[in-house]
Amino acid sequence: MIAPLIRVESLTRRYGDQLAVNGVSFAVAPGEIVGFLGPNGAGKSTVLRMLSSYLPPTAGTLEVAGHDVVREPLAVRQSIGCLTEHNALFDGMRVAAFLDFVGGVHGLTGARLAERREWVVQRTELASVLKKRVAECSKGFRQRIGLAAALIHDPPVLLLDEPTHGLDPLQVVAFRDFVRELAPGRAILFSSHILAEVAEIATRLLVIQGGRICLDAPLGELEQRATRDGINLESLVLDSVRKAEGAA
Amino acid sequence: MTNTSPTAASKLRGVQLVQRRELRALFESAVAPVFLIAGLVLLNSLYMNEFFLTARLDMTPLFDALAPLAGVLFPAITMRMWAEERRQRTFELWMTLPLTPWQVVLGKFGSALTLAALFLVGTLPIVVMLTQLGDPDLGRIFASYVGALCLASMLLAAGLFLSSLCRDQITAYLLAVLVAALFLATGHPRVVAVIDGMSPDAGIGRGLARYFSSLPQYESFVRGRIELGALVHFLGWTAVFLTANASAVKRHRP
Repeated sequence: MIAPLIRVESLTRRYGDQLAVNGVSFAVAPGEIVGFLGPNGAGKSTVLRMLSSYLPPTAGTLEVAGHDVVREPLAVRQSIGCLTEHNALFDGMRVAAFLDFVGGVHGLTGARLAERREWVVQRTELASVLKKRVAECSKGFRQRIGLAAALIHDPPVLLLDEPTHGLDPLQVVAFRDFVRELAPGRAILFSSHILAEVAEIATRLLVIQGGRICLDAPLGELEQRATRDGINLESLVLDSVRKAEGAA
Repeated sequence: MTNTSPTAASKLRGVQLVQRRELRALFESAVAPVFLIAGLVLLNSLYMNEFFLTARLDMTPLFDALAPLAGVLFPAITMRMWAEERRQRTFELWMTLPLTPWQVVLGKFGSALTLAALFLVGTLPIVVMLTQLGDPDLGRIFASYVGALCLASMLLAAGLFLSSLCRDQITAYLLAVLVAALFLATGHPRVVAVIDGMSPDAGIGRGLARYFSSLPQYESFVRGRIELGALVHFLGWTAVFLTANASAVKRHRP
């Protein structure tokens, strides 16, 4: 059996008295594209932030690429590419300098850095804005700059928080194709609150509600289940969310 | 698989990358040009006025004027260094890059200190002018520059730490000016006299001047002496503020 690149067990996070994530467990194997669905405030971004080592968990175990997130945060950060919720970038920097900086802190130098930069620039179609400052770029370009920075060091794990936010429909289609292309050998966990978007690209769905996982299954299996029950996928997911709400 | 234990060389490279990025950010914003131009015009004008009045080949007036000016100018370099990261939400970006809080803190501090050093370099034409006009005490001038750099180091470390506690750069600036004023004013004879006047037997003013204030330590450099106690004072406080800053960055989470 292939070892998962992301392993989360009994993960809990509190903000004061509020329980934001409650005993979440899941694993993501290489090659999987996992769509992380849930309404706003369900705990998606909190889980992604804990996986990126930005937020320490209150309890539970997190491993990324075989590294414990709490004990080996630097090794984890070397192994992940992150597109954060607000996609905050260094606005004053020029795009090329920003990519070189991120590549540099990931240990890339010389020809390897140039090669990786060329690859991400070509794949995210950033050539026209390389000399611009990040602040001068449109929202769609900013999203692509964030994605390019997440990919520059060729990480085995991608954590993408609302990655298509701000992209136009053509860019969304191109993004989906690109993510499918990136998937072999990588674990990709991307969050969204739009089911149709996730269903287009994910191989598996992970649905979170009220800080708990209420659905975790391969997309094909869920589609079969929905067909068997005579409902569509959206209704199936909504049922599981409502049941979780009721249980809470 | 990635290497889990970065070497000293790779840690240093991380610090250098952050330093270069921050220095570039200072120059690409208005901070560095305004700081350098306004600061140098002000400091050199104050000195040249004194020079023409006294006609002495001595840089003491320049370094005497530098202390209060540093308390107002140096916080302008550091005020946005963390506060802006928090406001623009780039703090999370820093904390998901493979850098330790210490690497980021030292990189930011290094860039601020480099800008302060450039500021001091801007006063070197005066040294050239004095040597052309006669035979100034170069040893004393050298000691004064060491003292100025030490003072800058402490004030910048304090400003950087205070910036890490604030979300607003103006608040960070005002706090840093206040802290600088505390370190400098407590050594001023008039302030010492006022504090001692409130409670003559306690000797609080004299105690503060002797054990806390940076002004007497700085003045020892300006008088031409590089004393171990003064070096320990400035480098010690620098280390305290940088450690507090790294700790604040480690602890800061939403």
